[in-house]
Amino acid sequence: MSLLEIDGVVAGYGRGPDILRGVDLTVEEGEVQCIIGPNGAGKSTLLKTIAGLLRPRKGRVVFQGEVLNGLRPDQIIRRGIAFLPQERSLFPDMTVLENLRMGGYALEDKSLMSERIEEAFAQFPILKERYKQKARTLSGGQQQMLVMGRALVLRPHLVMLDEPSLGLAPQIVAQLFEIVRGFKDQGMTVLMVEQNARQGLNCADRGCVLDLGQRVFDGPADGILDDPRIQELYLGTQKKAETS
Amino acid sequence: MATADVSVTDNRDTTTSSGYKSRKYILGVIVAALALVPVLQWQTTNNLNFWLNLLIIIFLWITMSTSWNIIGGYAGYISLGHNVFAAIGGYLAAMLLLRLDIPVFVTAPFAGLVAMVVGFVIGLITLRVRGPAFIISTIALVLVLRTIIDNWDFLGGVRGLTLPLIGLDVQLVKIPFYYAMLLVALLSIYFSYWIRHSKFGLGLRAISQDEIKAETAGIPTKMYKVLAYAASAFFIGVAGALWSQYVTFVDPGTYLIILFGARPVLMTLLGGKGTVAGPVVGAALVILATEFSESQFGGTELNVIGVGVVMIIVLLFFPDGLVGSLRRAGRLPALLDWD
Repeated sequence: MSLLEIDGVVAGYGRGPDILRGVDLTVEEGEVQCIIGPNGAGKSTLLKTIAGLLRPRKGRVVFQGEVLNGLRPDQIIRRGIAFLPQERSLFPDMTVLENLRMGGYALEDKSLMSERIEEAFAQFPILKERYKQKARTLSGGQQQMLVMGRALVLRPHLVMLDEPSLGLAPQIVAQLFEIVRGFKDQGMTVLMVEQNARQGLNCADRGCVLDLGQRVFDGPADGILDDPRIQELYLGTQKKAETS
Repeated sequence: MATADVSVTDNRDTTTSSGYKSRKYILGVIVAALALVPVLQWQTTNNLNFWLNLLIIIFLWITMSTSWNIIGGYAGYISLGHNVFAAIGGYLAAMLLLRLDIPVFVTAPFAGLVAMVVGFVIGLITLRVRGPAFIISTIALVLVLRTIIDNWDFLGGVRGLTLPLIGLDVQLVKIPFYYAMLLVALLSIYFSYWIRHSKFGLGLRAISQDEIKAETAGIPTKMYKVLAYAASAFFIGVAGALWSQYVTFVDPGTYLIILFGARPVLMTLLGGKGTVAGPVVGAALVILATEFSESQFGGTELNVIGVGVVMIIVLLFFPDGLVGSLRRAGRLPALLDWD
């Protein structure tokens, strides 16, 4: 049994059209999976649906054998799925330390949280130096470290990242993906969405391509971009975008 | 910047400067001094009832704004109708006094509980919406309750209920209310402090910043908001109950006017929304300023204009309130840093 199974999920916002039009996807224990796809393919929508921010209109989300449909986000995070949304999941007016505490909010054990925060500080010493500063005063790279630090405090079973590299300088992006690999070494499973397809896939074990609300390809991350079908899809979409 | 060892359980470890050490004693002295004020009643030729009255009013509004701050400041849900809880407390205590002859000092905690339960139920309904829609729902609440009471003869209708004085002579009559209101104010401040430093408080502050993020971080936002709303009603209900017999009168016009509901908001914004000390400072300043201008210029509408002008200036230039602005400038005296 896979860790996460997504089974024919249809979802959309409010009364709007279906954004996901029957997505099937599996995430295996311990892997890093990267979802790529053109704008509007439904990548973020898929993560939001898994996190409980959107209710699937059809289909099932099954995590460790349990159907998650209809659970609230705070119930889903307690089952071991953490979602780090796009544009930094930080609270800009809270201090670094408070943000780390927010990361571990779902932990019931206070001393475990303190321990984990110390470990996050050990991995990112700059955060320790600035623990009393408001998150908004950190640089983009430091903010992303704080986001990663939050995931380290919680140590969810599955961590979902929505475009972690967005708006970061290239050398920081490389560091970031190293941190993501580190999650895997610490026993977490990672499902991430990346606009930066090449680097995202480099970091991943498995890749998956989403287009127009459906999964169109799934396979080992190596060489996924060299696959003629994917190239055709990407180029095809690009062409469409240019002419429109 | 702080390079000292970070103890995660206490976020105030680097603030060990002398100001923070002596703060506890200074605050203790202030509280002790307030507790001793009534003793002076017998040291002066005239009594101190004017000053006792002023302090009782300040304690009432400290309780109102400090409690309001739990939902309005920490959770960021602006309510313009928290006076309904004062009215519920006031009417409940008044009825129990009139019908069953139970003193308000006994019924006040019970009145607080009832206000809290009512707050919980109302919260379940009105906290489904946010932003302007929520604010309007809180005003609507005041209007609904006012209409009900205006037309309910059992509760005295528009004429209100007249309550008996407590049977004490003029030197003593204010003293029980003074201590009761002081106690309620102190407890409400402590309650607010406790929430501010709890995990629940951290969750409320997360909600005020971004509800979606708070939810994905694992906060049951709906339940937290309702709990915060209910918690903010408790001490307001208690204070409302005490107030009813203090002024020996309850009527819809005392409690259920917009000004009564707006005042704690103004006080909290003036002092500093979302800080523990802000509502206390704001309430004291507004009451003292009002009292001063009434004594200088008489009880005219001019006072209202004066308060309004001060309010506009503060909101324009110090949007974080006094405590918030001072903290931002790094000039907040340790005495007032209770967060």
